[in-house]
Amino acid sequence: MTAYYAPKTPAETLALLSAHAPDCALLAGGTDLVPKLKSGAAAPGTLVYIGSAGLDYIRQEESRLIVGAAATWTMLAEHPLVASCAAVLAAAARTPAASSPGVKNTATVGGNLATASPAADLATPLLALDADVRIHSVRGTRTVALGDFFTGPGKTVLLPDELICAVSIPLCGGISVFEKIGRRKAMSISVVNTAVRLVLEQGRCREARIALGSVAPVPLRCRGAEDMLIGKEPGRELFQACGAEALRACSPIDDAAATAWYRRTAGAALVARALGRAAGLPGTPEE
Amino acid sequence: MKYMLSFTVNGAPADVAVGPTETLLDVLRDRLGFTGAKRGCETGDCGACTVLVDGRSVRSCITLALTVQGKAVTTVEGLARDGKPHPLQQAFHDHGASQCGFCTPGMIVSLAELLEKNPEPCRDDARAAIAGNLCRCTGYVKIIDAAMAAARSPHKKGGPA
Repeated sequence: MTAYYAPKTPAETLALLSAHAPDCALLAGGTDLVPKLKSGAAAPGTLVYIGSAGLDYIRQEESRLIVGAAATWTMLAEHPLVASCAAVLAAAARTPAASSPGVKNTATVGGNLATASPAADLATPLLALDADVRIHSVRGTRTVALGDFFTGPGKTVLLPDELICAVSIPLCGGISVFEKIGRRKAMSISVVNTAVRLVLEQGRCREARIALGSVAPVPLRCRGAEDMLIGKEPGRELFQACGAEALRACSPIDDAAATAWYRRTAGAALVARALGRAAGLPGTPEE
Repeated sequence: MKYMLSFTVNGAPADVAVGPTETLLDVLRDRLGFTGAKRGCETGDCGACTVLVDGRSVRSCITLALTVQGKAVTTVEGLARDGKPHPLQQAFHDHGASQCGFCTPGMIVSLAELLEKNPEPCRDDARAAIAGNLCRCTGYVKIIDAAMAAARSPHKKGGPA
């Protein structure tokens, strides 16, 4: 028999987690958890609903954008601070390619990260933006770089009594671009997705981020490909080589959505296209 | 264990004792008799169960009922005003936008949210609004035609409370 709590504050949430973990599930938008509850794949003794726990905020703290764990995709898509400080995150949250308005109105950023799908569409933009995850428990607080947060499909560094309170994004410079390919143009799990960020200085790349999703057990940054760009002038051949290098660092699989070969081939092209858009190369196809 | 859920449906207060894993769709259809929202895929993919919670469209089949505590739910039954159909309902009728009709309530509720947010949508806006509403009769063109006609209607703001 399941017990249900709807705490009003983060502190109350942590106390409930501490009392009931590990036989306890956090419920936010429920878009991943509720189907599992219905199929019996999840049967926690206690459900803790965090949608009214004061975690659905978006605000600026000095030089960082702080997104509460229960902020929905719709909030990310519509909030002016996200548009101005983390436009690539707003773009990923806005595209119909990821999901429908009815899901985005409830699905949350914390849920997207905690579910730890290798194809999570918010993970790659947040990796490209150097985001950190702020994790709280009654034992204390820790901050984990998003690149260190995922440990495998459906697995993260979160301990049973820990709660993602927020995602913290530095106000980093540059132009960022999100691209994804799904089986259809709307409401589709990513066959491959990418977010890139380029900082150009005097016509050369000073800083670069390339994040890829759905091509490895976890969403990941491709540092080898990023390093290829530093000090170079943007150009189509460079970006194509960079896309190929990025996918060399990945380990895509065959599954119901696509083959590994397709992911590798399309992923390389997608990275090259995203870099072309970020650098403003003429002739780059729009999203 | 049962918990008391108090919320409003189409403006009228409702109090129901529900279990933690009961969905909003279960409560609306089986307890309160609002059968406009349809039970389709049951996994949040098809959109047939779409209702508004505080004006935002949600998938009632994957929304646990207790999470709408204190909130205002609008189903397709609540869109009519003063005995007159919502402009979208009228436009669906006028344009033949219902075939078997199973997806129609979800389509209309999703599009009602769109018209509240964006009174002058283009066809692509309407397509994006119903990206998660599946019509197995594939009657999408007439549905978009109806949405555009409703957007032109002078009464389009007659929508949800």
